[in-house]
Amino acid sequence: MQTRRVLTKELMLGVIVALFIIFLSLTTRFFSISGLFSLMLDVSPTIVGTIAMTLIIFTGNIDISAGTIMGFVAYASADLARAGVPMIVFVPAGLLVGVVLAGLNGYITVQFKVPSIVVTLAMNMVHIGFFATFLPNSGWIEGVPTSFTWFGNGRLFGLVPYVFLVTVAVTALFMFIMKYSRFGKGLYAVGGSQQAAALAGISPDRTVFRVFLFEGLLLGVAALLKAMATTNDVLPSTFQGREMILIAGAVVGGVGIFGGTGKIIGAVYGAILVYLLSVTMIYLGFQDYYQFALQGIIILLAVYLTVVDLKKVRRRLRHIFAHTGAKGR
Amino acid sequence: MAGKQVGGLRSKITHRVVLLFALIGLIVVIGIFEPVFFKPSVLFDVTALMGEIGLMALAQTYIITTGGIDLSVGYNLQLCAIVFGMTLFQTHLIFLAVVLALVVGLLGGLLNGLIISRTRIPPLVTTLATMYLFRGISMIVAGTHTYSGFPENFKKVSNVTLFGFFPIQFIYLLVIFVVLNVLFNRGSLGRVLKGIGFNENAVIFSGTNSKRYLLWIYALSGLISGLAAIIYLGRLSSATTSMGDGLNLQVVTAVVLGGTSVFGGVGSVSGTFIATMIIGVLRKGFTLLNLSGNFFNFTLGVILIASLIVLAVVDKRKARRGVPPLAAKSSAET
Repeated sequence: MQTRRVLTKELMLGVIVALFIIFLSLTTRFFSISGLFSLMLDVSPTIVGTIAMTLIIFTGNIDISAGTIMGFVAYASADLARAGVPMIVFVPAGLLVGVVLAGLNGYITVQFKVPSIVVTLAMNMVHIGFFATFLPNSGWIEGVPTSFTWFGNGRLFGLVPYVFLVTVAVTALFMFIMKYSRFGKGLYAVGGSQQAAALAGISPDRTVFRVFLFEGLLLGVAALLKAMATTNDVLPSTFQGREMILIAGAVVGGVGIFGGTGKIIGAVYGAILVYLLSVTMIYLGFQDYYQFALQGIIILLAVYLTVVDLKKVRRRLRHIFAHTGAKGR
Repeated sequence: MAGKQVGGLRSKITHRVVLLFALIGLIVVIGIFEPVFFKPSVLFDVTALMGEIGLMALAQTYIITTGGIDLSVGYNLQLCAIVFGMTLFQTHLIFLAVVLALVVGLLGGLLNGLIISRTRIPPLVTTLATMYLFRGISMIVAGTHTYSGFPENFKKVSNVTLFGFFPIQFIYLLVIFVVLNVLFNRGSLGRVLKGIGFNENAVIFSGTNSKRYLLWIYALSGLISGLAAIIYLGRLSSATTSMGDGLNLQVVTAVVLGGTSVFGGVGSVSGTFIATMIIGVLRKGFTLLNLSGNFFNFTLGVILIASLIVLAVVDKRKARRGVPPLAAKSSAET
């Protein structure tokens, strides 16, 4: 099992690098160092968002409303910024919006024992409907002040985007949390088996609810990283459908859709890979809508590979421990 | 065992009775605000509006009863509609277009069914992925085209009313409803589907090939999406690359509102039928009261969440009374 994981990661890195090379050779624009850093700027929100989705998938849940939650965060922060509120207020406020909305998903999922897919699918529709019905201009905000945009467009030493530094910090933090904290271990435990987790003294309900809160926070960060990189306007509806990219990144990164398996760093690789694929496709001249089809296929393939793996592992385990067959699905 | 069944039966009947009262109550309330709603031609227009959603929801009931879900129906319909429009405008053969639309729908459903029954990829992920796949393909096929202006004799598929108020869609809906309901409640099909939803291993160990059932219910869902596409086009008379947006939510809402458990093991085709009518009345009411389609979607999402919560609470109450709850079973498995 351990060697298998390492192999998968290594393989993934290889594919990423290969794609990168193809990508760089296809385009002359990105042959420079500054091109590389603008790539970092682009991929950052996807990475943070994928980490958010990965945490949810670790527990065996999913969030279809991730995209629209990001839209709400972007809208709330941008609207506050336009009203002249300082950054120290509108950033936490935006994050709070993400936490509350994701927390609502988590609360309904946990409290009423309803599958998160159905809850968040319905929420997705509620959010979209809310945007179009109750917000002026469907949430489109024009003329955001520099207090909102300076961070997203700023670069350390004029080279490394601040946005990317935040992404690296978030990635490191959550790799640390997953590896060393009780909470991180709890996610795997709950995703592996709720009953076993409960017997081990980890409350599945509390863990799932908490992971939704964390997800909301990270989605907020991702949304802000994306929205702040604008120069003039914020259009929340551009976030609709982004959950597909996040799910694709996670499952491509080897995160098991049934929960309990996978690593943060794998998800990060997955996010970069999915991003590079879509960028490459655009550069090859494919229209936007080819990506819908591509993302569907990527998710199916990636999940299929993890499922096949699981089957083999389980068969081998069954040879060793006769009683593990009782684990079921 | 006998006691459980009585409890299950009783609860189902009350759920459907509640739904019926909700339906009548909604009609009365909307009718008070807009008296024109009581006119038969307006009231029965609801069934025309819900023709395609109703058909897909009936097939979806089978799927959700097994604990699965088919999120791809909306964009499968869109793909079928695009194929239909393209064929019709290339060849001018209505018959060929109809056949091709049905075949494409069936193939889409078979793809879902094959993946779900042959691999262990959960239905949710499978159909979420194929949903985007179908959407992408339909956009690729259509490009920037919008197919509109279908021949008059094709529009008769949907635009005919019997006795001046009874839309022909209602006939389709009733026929499919009766067929699926009889299949579900008589014979072994319903029991097998509920069995798969409750405990698939038990069904397999009892010597039933559950995979075959799974394959064909997803195929059925696809085929009905194709049928729904044709009926939809007869009413809308233009095939666009956005016509599938949000349809799957309406379909799932109808099924869940109808009392079918998303955990599987409990299903009611007639409940779905009544729930479809409730959604239809709501939609017609929203149109009459000049409320936007987006607000309707918003309301629909709220209704879906509310009905999930109500069903869960009812389940918990039943657990307290000693009837085995569904939620307990699900939390033990996930």
